[in-house]
Amino acid sequence: MSYEDWFRQDRLPHIYCAGCGNGTIINCTLEAIEEMGWKKEETIFVSGIGCSSRAPGYIVTDSLHTTHGRALPFATGVKMARPGFHVIVFTGDGDLAAIGGNHFIHACRRNIDITVVCMNNQIYGMTGGQGSPTTPKGALSTTTPFGSVEPAFDLCELAIAAGANYVARWTSYHVKELTKAVKAGLENPGLSFIEARVQCPTNYGRRNKFKQVLDQVEHLRSHSMLRQKYLQHQERGDAVPDGTIVVGEFVKRNRPSMGVPR
Amino acid sequence: MKIEIDESRCKGCNLCTVGCPYKIFQAGKKPNRKGVLVPLLDRPERCTNCRLQHLYGRVLCGVCQMTCPDQAIRFRDEKSGEPVKVAIEY
Repeated sequence: MSYEDWFRQDRLPHIYCAGCGNGTIINCTLEAIEEMGWKKEETIFVSGIGCSSRAPGYIVTDSLHTTHGRALPFATGVKMARPGFHVIVFTGDGDLAAIGGNHFIHACRRNIDITVVCMNNQIYGMTGGQGSPTTPKGALSTTTPFGSVEPAFDLCELAIAAGANYVARWTSYHVKELTKAVKAGLENPGLSFIEARVQCPTNYGRRNKFKQVLDQVEHLRSHSMLRQKYLQHQERGDAVPDGTIVVGEFVKRNRPSMGVPR
Repeated sequence: MKIEIDESRCKGCNLCTVGCPYKIFQAGKKPNRKGVLVPLLDRPERCTNCRLQHLYGRVLCGVCQMTCPDQAIRFRDEKSGEPVKVAIEY
């Protein structure tokens, strides 16, 4: 048994562009689920609209491909109706942070027992590269042709403030760490939020001086900083360079949660 | 055990070339039937997972397989009678 058994072999190869990191995140998530030893009949994948949300279409289990931004309400419904099922939500940054932002906050507040894997590519990839709430300051996109002037959303801090039980962030370069983080999230009762930074070579990298896919992956690798190190920097009062991606486990706590089977 | 690249799935992104600690995957030079530059394997018998997975009974590295966004890389057991190359390390 390996995670490859979870793919619909007849639907592969998928539609993602060459070098897109979403496939890596699907691999890591499925590997974590495989390690949990869950049955395919008792696992449900829910997704909204976007590149990342095409993921459940390539997985053999039952899945819901729902309206834009409303993956979390649908997942809440599934979990409330069948608390014994394992619900995993694949979502993107435009899906989760922009259109489904309020649903995300309330799902964290209710602390429903689901796992949210957010593939954050910092842009609306599928619709043609419009700027999303997580587009960093100065980045070019089709709606910000002179560089984004707004500060970007930090989804992990938002999830912590709203009350999620487990929050972690990794990039598509850190596959082993991401697998462990997803597994920890699946084991933890309550809402587990894992943000995975992915590269988008077609719509983000092409406009932002990453000519090759590997350049963007190298950027993800060299700009990520462990949370412990980041906290040490903050304690000493050192400046953290711009564009640093703080990675690692942000919070793991045991607030009362909804939908945990008794 | 050996590494196998599925040419019908590979899109030629070369992400595997950064993950492998042994640099087994090298960027391809010649386009295949679909026009994709499939990476070449440079002495794949050095792969830790291929050599030692049977001894340990678990996946030892597998970063290339996890990194491949197109699920094109997989580990496969050799057929019986298939010649096996052995890596000699000094």
